[in-house]
Amino acid sequence: MKYSYYPGCAQHGTAIDQRISVEAVFKRLGIELEEIKNWNCCGALHVDDRTTRIALSARTLAGAKGLDIATPCNLCYSNLMRANTALEESALKTMINGALTNKYEGNTKPKHLLEVVVNDFGLGKLAEQIKKPLKIKAVPYYGCLLTRPENKFDSPENPKSLDNLIAALGADPVKYYYKTKCCGGPILLTNEDLALQLAKDLLVMAKETGADCMVVTCPMCHLQLDAKQKAVEAKFNMKIEMPIIYFTQLIGLSMGIPPKELGLDKHLVSTDKFIAKVGR
Amino acid sequence: MQKETIIPESRDNAFRDLIIKSPGGENLLTCMQCGICAGSCPVSHEMDHTPRQMVRMIQLGLKKEVLNSNTIWICTTCFSCSVRCPRGIYPTELMETLKPIAIKEGIKNRNAKFDNIFADVVKKNGRASEFLLISKYSISEPGMIAQAPFGLELISKGKLPLSIDKMDDTRELDSIFSLSEKTGSEEKTKIKEKPPEIKENNSDSQEAEK
Repeated sequence: MKYSYYPGCAQHGTAIDQRISVEAVFKRLGIELEEIKNWNCCGALHVDDRTTRIALSARTLAGAKGLDIATPCNLCYSNLMRANTALEESALKTMINGALTNKYEGNTKPKHLLEVVVNDFGLGKLAEQIKKPLKIKAVPYYGCLLTRPENKFDSPENPKSLDNLIAALGADPVKYYYKTKCCGGPILLTNEDLALQLAKDLLVMAKETGADCMVVTCPMCHLQLDAKQKAVEAKFNMKIEMPIIYFTQLIGLSMGIPPKELGLDKHLVSTDKFIAKVGR
Repeated sequence: MQKETIIPESRDNAFRDLIIKSPGGENLLTCMQCGICAGSCPVSHEMDHTPRQMVRMIQLGLKKEVLNSNTIWICTTCFSCSVRCPRGIYPTELMETLKPIAIKEGIKNRNAKFDNIFADVVKKNGRASEFLLISKYSISEPGMIAQAPFGLELISKGKLPLSIDKMDDTRELDSIFSLSEKTGSEEKTKIKEKPPEIKENNSDSQEAEK
């Protein structure tokens, strides 16, 4: 299995832990991720001009050279998906191709790494790789942009792919009504009060389920729920101490990969107790 | 809040038509004000106008009120409203359409400032170095100094590299970023040349309003 790989900017910064775990896990699964040479930012939600943002993703899509393009980030994924749909309009495609060296023909399929694991690789095959079933309870948290506004693999209202993955790893995916509610990440810098309020709602609800960790699929969600968790605790005068685990890290733990090789020592919320419970 | 009568002079139909022609606005005139957008929005309690009200205001061509609304900037782009709208309107897309228009009209706030810094960093480096973004934004937002301990914590975990992440070759970026000038002017001429026809489906909604 081989994919063209678009890491996105966060993998070179705040999501270094996710990057380490992706490298460790995908290598062992035998899924080849070939990084696009000289890739550019997708524009996230902050390059306001729509055409420019589509063009940034068009350049990435063209760089995939016909392979399916995999990405670990919900924002990158949604931008690639939205651009792909917008580029079905031939006038727009012609105009944008005019600005690109490698023209985009419209033949690249964007896939989030979760989709790659759950659908392409398959949970049955993944189960064969499990050395240590995880006897824990985990909150499946999808975030917004994995399933909205468009995706081809899961429901925007009640997605199940991450639930199924957690169950396949031997863990118990708890019922969590906020699984696709916004974490507030995009407004963290410009409207922190509101961003922390949104994060608090998610964390409190997660805590109430009695879960051992919350599983995320996106670097922005991780930043918001892990790195900013202390700020939430301080602002609302409460103790949460909820480990926020990337789904790739969870897979890695079940495969018996040492926590350090999964970047679990790089979280701001301690993962020690969680790792002890998993049992390594 | 005191209610004012909307007089025809305060309505800007060209503005309304511009939004209708943009992505996500195609079905705007069919809105039946059900409010599922406002009910689905995780942040509507902070907005001065809910997404539902914004759609109505755009229909009425209330350009000034729409562009001055904090709703555009409070929106977290989560798309909850958009996947639920029974009429196929994408309020999230509308907010994205309104952002550059508001900036062009001279609206200034922290979000516009941050977006401007973000676009600038990407245009120069091709990648969004978080360190560069935070430091540039902090220079113009003195309150950000309170975030310094947080920044140091990220640095200590190796999560905020001080070296600037950059593409090897940034030559294509200039032509990509100059696309915005092209599209901006195209939209304007389109509207001047051809007044938009009223779509079939909006006759229903206008009837319903009566």
